Amino acid sequence: MTKVKKSTGFPSSDLVRAVLKGHSGLGLAFAALLYLVCLTGTIAVFANEFQRWENPGAERMQMMSADAVQAAYLGAMERTEGPVEHVLILMPSEDRPWPTLRFDAEDGTQTTWIADGAGRITGKVREGWTKFLTRLHINLHLPQSWGIFIIGLTGVALLSSLISGLLAHPRIFRDAFHLRLGGSRRLQEADLHNRIGVWALPFHITVSLTGALLGLSTIIIGAIGLAVFQGDTAKVYAIFTPPHPAADARPAPPLDLRPLFATVAARAPGERINYLVIEHPTEMGAAAMFEVEDGSSRLANANSYAFDREGKLYYEQKAADNNVGQQILGSLGLLHFGWFGGGVIKIAYALLGLGLTYLAAGGVNIWLARRRDKGRPAPGWESVWTATVWGQPVALACAAFTALFTPLVAPLIWTWGIISIAVLGAAALLPPATLSRFGRAITGALLIVLALAHPAFLGMGDSMALIVDGALGLLGLGLLATVVGQVPMVRKASQPA
Amino acid sequence: MTGGALLGEMAVIFGGAISGSWLLRRAWSLKTGKAPWRWAGLSLLAINLIWSAWALGYARGPFIALTLLAVAALGVIASGHTLRPAKAGRAAREGLAPEPAERAMSAWRTTLRWSLAGPVGMIAAMALGISYAVWAPGEMQTRLLIGGLIVPLAWGGAMAWTLADSRILRATAMLVGTAVFGFGAAMLKGFT
Repeated sequence: MTKVKKSTGFPSSDLVRAVLKGHSGLGLAFAALLYLVCLTGTIAVFANEFQRWENPGAERMQMMSADAVQAAYLGAMERTEGPVEHVLILMPSEDRPWPTLRFDAEDGTQTTWIADGAGRITGKVREGWTKFLTRLHINLHLPQSWGIFIIGLTGVALLSSLISGLLAHPRIFRDAFHLRLGGSRRLQEADLHNRIGVWALPFHITVSLTGALLGLSTIIIGAIGLAVFQGDTAKVYAIFTPPHPAADARPAPPLDLRPLFATVAARAPGERINYLVIEHPTEMGAAAMFEVEDGSSRLANANSYAFDREGKLYYEQKAADNNVGQQILGSLGLLHFGWFGGGVIKIAYALLGLGLTYLAAGGVNIWLARRRDKGRPAPGWESVWTATVWGQPVALACAAFTALFTPLVAPLIWTWGIISIAVLGAAALLPPATLSRFGRAITGALLIVLALAHPAFLGMGDSMALIVDGALGLLGLGLLATVVGQVPMVRKASQPA
Repeated sequence: MTGGALLGEMAVIFGGAISGSWLLRRAWSLKTGKAPWRWAGLSLLAINLIWSAWALGYARGPFIALTLLAVAALGVIASGHTLRPAKAGRAAREGLAPEPAERAMSAWRTTLRWSLAGPVGMIAAMALGISYAVWAPGEMQTRLLIGGLIVPLAWGGAMAWTLADSRILRATAMLVGTAVFGFGAAMLKGFT
């Protein structure tokens, strides 16, 4: 037997063991949430591509004229019942090559329209799956403030796990490139957990820190307001948002956008308008704010121009003049979702996101394997965890499949919830290995059916939709292949005689 | 920058990241003479990072380079994986990393520990972030954003610490003190 030499350097073995205890406890407490948030975040990297997948029939364009925007805006206004509070017009972009117009009514309802190149409204945008997925990631479909706070808390737990994980890893350099597969399951899981955890650390820190800040922003702003603005949080928001023109609720015809487009084009020639927000478009106190990409390589590269009803430019903020805080604010979402380097970075983010999802799942696997090694197996928890890990892909695939039949979000939430609970219920009946096989087989089969059914139900007018279908089909085939290899007959047939 | 040029720059960065990771892996696998390989690998990765900032923007470039480095390094690790026979399990288990500490559990200590990691840690972290925003020099937006970033970082650190530290009263005193001092300092000055 080799005598283990007790290290006296930093971190000491006592510190490592104490930190490992905290790391393990925190990981277990947040495991399911971390797993769900990481998995949905990984898929949400492709939110724009999924929106195109849901609307393959939308007319694609590179740009839209001011006249067409005005026509679409008036057309959508006619279709909207009651007074309109705000309008958000997303201009065609490389990621989503068609315009959408979101109308927020006074009662809080939102309707998003889609328009063609001539400004004709072609219908409501179909975004059930994209909205379901992104909302699940952002607020778990819970009441907004609670849901976002829980997600922020999960981000903090992830950040904390990264800190404790590093401190609890004294062999960080010695094991830097070890990846030992097979043999002890615990060693294999630990190697995967530690290698992914360490080498993708910049990514993990970026997404957890930006996610935690975005999630906690409401409560942080509330605390700042309470501590230094006598509870007035509007003063904190006002530091970051353009000023509003004086409120004037007298009725007026819809704000004419065309002269504003002309002014923006004159001030920022050749620059691309990302979006515009119109406030109280049918009141005398109407205002419109344009967000225009300045074409630089900055992460936060949007100039802002705000106009009142008379077309007077009352606010202008150039990206080049942004201070550090404004640059950070403008970069948070891009860095969190991987939307700063085109398709390559999106794919890299998806791969690393999958790794982070594996960290959340693998941490519990290590704990379960450790218990088994110590003669204290927890078969019940093993089944529950396997059902959690493989139940989510099944539930998400079912929700995506439901999206083929309805543009609404609620049926998708129900589908996802019922399937998640059903798979958890199956944990009482089936052993982990069977649950895992079933989970992979059902997800794989569903993804293949989804890839085949999507063009038939929604059409194939957009090449991006076909790419998404292809990716889903390949993913499904890959999952099925992992199951087929484990079927006893296949395994026997593949062995040499 | 056009799509093709961006792809080209990224291909170069990815190639640099793979080469740098491979050089570091080579240094790691050698018993002697590691230093030249290690320095070559680290230098290549540093050049990659600097070049990405120059070519793709001072903020966008390094984030692209770090993202691609993570993918490249994990690819290099995966390409060098070793397969162990099933019977190696027992021997491998004996050579594992340290076990988590065993602690005497009591309901009040567990409650206090999680309260410190949760709400108390959050309040202390907010106090730190807000007092930074109030007292630090610079533009309002910058102070608020950096103060905001301090909150999850400090809370995460507090969580890691309180869940690990067996001297729970020390952690309590530290976090409560930070909260009182931080909020007190912020209220004293106000935001200007």
